[in-house]
Amino acid sequence: MSETSVIDQETHDAIDVDRSKGDFSYPENHKFDAGVGLTEATVDYICDVKSDPDWVREFRHKALKTFWDKPNPTHWASKELDEIDFDKIRYYLSDGARPKRSWDDVPDEIKETFERLGVPEQERAFLAGVEAQYDSEAAYSNVKEELEKDGVIFVNSAEGLKEHEEIFRPWFGKVIPTGDNKYSALNSAVFSGGSFIYIPKGLKVKHPLQAYFRINSENFGQFERTLIIADEGSELMYMEGCTAPKFETSTLHSAVVELVAMKGAKIQYVTVQNWSSNVFNLVTKRGIAHEDAEIRWIDCNIGSGLTMKYPGVVMKGERARGEVISIALANTGQSQDTGAKMIHAADNTTSNVVSKSISVGEGRSTYRGQVHIPKHLKGCKNNTECDALLINANSCTDTYPAITVRGNKHVTQHEASVSQVSEDMLYYMQQRGISEGAAMSLAVNGFINDLAQEFPMEYSVELKRLIELEMEGSVG
Amino acid sequence: MSLIINDLHAGIEDMPILKGLNLEIPKGEVHAIMGPNGSGKSTLSKVITGHDTYEVASGSVTMDGEDLLEMEVDERSREGVFLAFQYPAEVPGVSNANFIRAAMEARQPEGEELDAVAFYKNLYAKMDILDMDRKFTSRAVNEGFSGGEKKRNEILQMMMLEPKYCILDETDSGLDIDALKIVARGVNAMRTTERGFLVITHYQRLLDYIQPDVVHVMADGKIVKSGGKELALELEASGYDFLKADDLVGA
Amino acid sequence: MTTSTLPQWFAAAQQEAWETYQSLPTPNRKHETWRFSNLKQLDFDGIQFAATEKLDLEVPADLPAGVICLPLLEALEKHSDLVEKYFMQNAAELGSAKYAALHRAKLTNGLFVYVPANVQVEKPIKVTHTVAGKNTAICPHTLIVTETGAKVSVVDKFVSADEEAGICIAVNDLIAGDNSELNYVAIQDLNEQSRMIQINDTTVSRDARAKAFTLNIGAAWARNEAYSRMIGEGAHSDMLSVGIPYGTQQYDQRTYQHHAVPHTYSDLLYKNTLYANSKSVFSGLILVDAGAHYTDAYQTCRNLMMEDTTEANSMPGLEINADQVKCSHGSTASPINDDEISYLLARGIRPRDARRLIAKGFSAEAYERLKDAELIDIVHDAIEAKFARIV
Repeated sequence: MSETSVIDQETHDAIDVDRSKGDFSYPENHKFDAGVGLTEATVDYICDVKSDPDWVREFRHKALKTFWDKPNPTHWASKELDEIDFDKIRYYLSDGARPKRSWDDVPDEIKETFERLGVPEQERAFLAGVEAQYDSEAAYSNVKEELEKDGVIFVNSAEGLKEHEEIFRPWFGKVIPTGDNKYSALNSAVFSGGSFIYIPKGLKVKHPLQAYFRINSENFGQFERTLIIADEGSELMYMEGCTAPKFETSTLHSAVVELVAMKGAKIQYVTVQNWSSNVFNLVTKRGIAHEDAEIRWIDCNIGSGLTMKYPGVVMKGERARGEVISIALANTGQSQDTGAKMIHAADNTTSNVVSKSISVGEGRSTYRGQVHIPKHLKGCKNNTECDALLINANSCTDTYPAITVRGNKHVTQHEASVSQVSEDMLYYMQQRGISEGAAMSLAVNGFINDLAQEFPMEYSVELKRLIELEMEGSVG
Repeated sequence: MSLIINDLHAGIEDMPILKGLNLEIPKGEVHAIMGPNGSGKSTLSKVITGHDTYEVASGSVTMDGEDLLEMEVDERSREGVFLAFQYPAEVPGVSNANFIRAAMEARQPEGEELDAVAFYKNLYAKMDILDMDRKFTSRAVNEGFSGGEKKRNEILQMMMLEPKYCILDETDSGLDIDALKIVARGVNAMRTTERGFLVITHYQRLLDYIQPDVVHVMADGKIVKSGGKELALELEASGYDFLKADDLVGA
Repeated sequence: MTTSTLPQWFAAAQQEAWETYQSLPTPNRKHETWRFSNLKQLDFDGIQFAATEKLDLEVPADLPAGVICLPLLEALEKHSDLVEKYFMQNAAELGSAKYAALHRAKLTNGLFVYVPANVQVEKPIKVTHTVAGKNTAICPHTLIVTETGAKVSVVDKFVSADEEAGICIAVNDLIAGDNSELNYVAIQDLNEQSRMIQINDTTVSRDARAKAFTLNIGAAWARNEAYSRMIGEGAHSDMLSVGIPYGTQQYDQRTYQHHAVPHTYSDLLYKNTLYANSKSVFSGLILVDAGAHYTDAYQTCRNLMMEDTTEANSMPGLEINADQVKCSHGSTASPINDDEISYLLARGIRPRDARRLIAKGFSAEAYERLKDAELIDIVHDAIEAKFARIV
């Protein structure tokens, strides 16, 4: 499949950018450091360290040119993007070691980092596999033996493109072409880390696979690249968590995640993003769902200074389904610019978007959505709901969906509402003896309750806890 | 031991609503306040419970000797004053069971947790008194409730929280006779020598089911007449026209 | 348009407007306010501007004393100060600043209605603007002012004299003073070769109630920009529209509900029934300024897709900077519900009639909010006439 057959120009215009917190860090000890700033030499350095095959080197250089040529999105995006100084970012840091297969082999500092984040316990508890990325490269990668026997591939992207080129290469950069937007081009030029997953035909992976992303170094840009291919009739849940310590200067996280759900396959991709408040989180995420396939993005954005992220699903086969469930919390100083892109490209395809945002203090949350149903199709359905909750004066919320429907064989509906935790509601709860803070927390959890249930149990609990932490001190 | 309101002056910004109100509700008694619209009945309930829209200019409100006016809304509640709202607020997404539980947990001593099994046993027993369906526990607080359901929910919360003093603000308004009887059943089940009630109402009808010890008439921010339960019947028969006469006796 | 009797300020404003028109760039696709638009319609090469327009004015016989109701050119002579005070005081912010400037520079006539305090005009004032001649453009302006406690209703109709491709660039300023009631109905029924740009600007003061309704049934392409600003507490604005495009007709609608002070209310309902290869674009924004607490603002756009070759684009938007607000928007695009059709068929109604009946009912919800029987009749008749043309 060529790039053009997946995404036409109009579709491309319809889909523009994507962006995505533990406050502690450890001393840096990097054997490989690409230095500060981005030149062709930086790209060559990364290629050399990683021993990239020629086709990857070529891919990266081409992408670098595209990155330089492309302006920041200007006509609607936040002016904050202009604060990113690409010359001050470090693009590659690693200790050069291969990812450890055994937790005991992971260097102590890194191990401590991830233990504080609860990674190994989680793994023992309910995960089928884990990959933990520390700055540029995976520090630890493990997939349970029985899955490996079943033919599941769960490796980092570098291993994926070298050891599994025949599966990797046909889809790499096809769901999200390099030139999709400035940040996908940047990622394509300097990507390192991220996961490659392949689930063989008919295999239903019972337990989730998980990745942790950790930025530990200042001025660092993390550019992981993830490609997940679920072959015919297979099923997978993948979860990622993101944290970084709070540095003095801003840090960039710009990932590209591509999902491919073959005929009848199901992929659920769960993100709980809790970057520290000076991380620019600009992530491009998109999946292709073939006939009868289903892709669900379950996305929670609590951290970062600016997140711009609009997960998309291209429903390429008949009866394919796409879904985006998202929760965003914007506190003072934060901007959560999130949304969804649903591209219907076959008959009888169905998409559903449910977005809930909470703006606290001077936080700003924005919903941007795109639903595209071309004229020649029939039987397509879209439902979009966005609800915003405002807490305290000066919170802002915006919604800007765009829906195009052609023909009378489709049904689309979009609903949005804005409400707040009213004084009457707080007084009522307080009169029952509940403190103001607890009353606020009850109200907020009530607002997201129905969506929080969509997250896996462990995440749902974590999510509520994070929201409570964020809400502390937001009243009075 | 009483809820004592002494020469209370309160209002919104510069507009006085309560103008020197005096009232004492001893434990074990049910006092009813009646009065025409705009006399300040609902304001009284909000000032006692601490609604921040109302400013207290002078006077005092004490409960069993403790100064209520110095406390926050939630502290007053935990000290034992309960208001059954005329218009209860909706709390979307929060189930009734979780809400009542949160309120009861707020009353637990530090470090102690509520026994979930005992909680539900208690909740169901009280719901039975009020003829409430079990499904009610999982519905969001007051959201989509009928008028009667909201009022029953207020009484259920009151029964669960076991306050020292209960204020019922027009709990009877908008209720049909069957719902009214159920609400009254809940209130009567709570009458003990250890608990005082202030029942604010517009209609004498409620007092047929909740027998008051004392009836007060409120007008223009003050108690202007007090008497036994026969006073309510007089009011029902002849209305508030007597308020225009100037031979009123202070409370 | 240059007549020596026109006031000096106006001549100067026209000159300045012409310069503005020439200096502003032609909108392009990158411009958010022109997203999904058919920009080819903005090619005005070879267009002649009429010196004046044929204006048919129907004034109620019993017009109360003090009410001014005159063709705009005449009002410019007789009530220059009053017109100057209210004429195009706000910039066109929904994309057509360039064409608002052109309108001002090339003004061909229009209507001025001024209702003094506490005067109520019960019967509607009606005016018809006619476009005539190939590649000819008219720029009619409707300026309506209601002082405190006044009431008036105005119906603006835009038609073509012939089957030539003409252009109409119309602007209306609706200024509702305190506690006044201002109803405005625009019926766009140009021939199907013509183009229409209509820019509305509504200002609603304390406790005032403004209703602005637009019916689009004619033209090859119509662009409507409607801006309603609530500037006094208790201001209430209804923004209503019905569009019934068929053939290759395209209706492009941009709206803005601007709440500048607390305790204001706006409700927008736009309904489009689309046939054949027609297309609609709706972009709406509710803006609640910081401090404009207790705002109630609602926005609904519904598209009824009658055939498989129709296209609807919706961009509903909310931007809330205040607390204690209730805002919502909804937008739908769907065909007629099968259950509804089945029900009517079960009563013996023929399928075509059943579909039409449902489509008419769909439109009615919007114009019935006008609440005034005569205004409702006028709109209803125009809609019936359009349906009669749909084969």
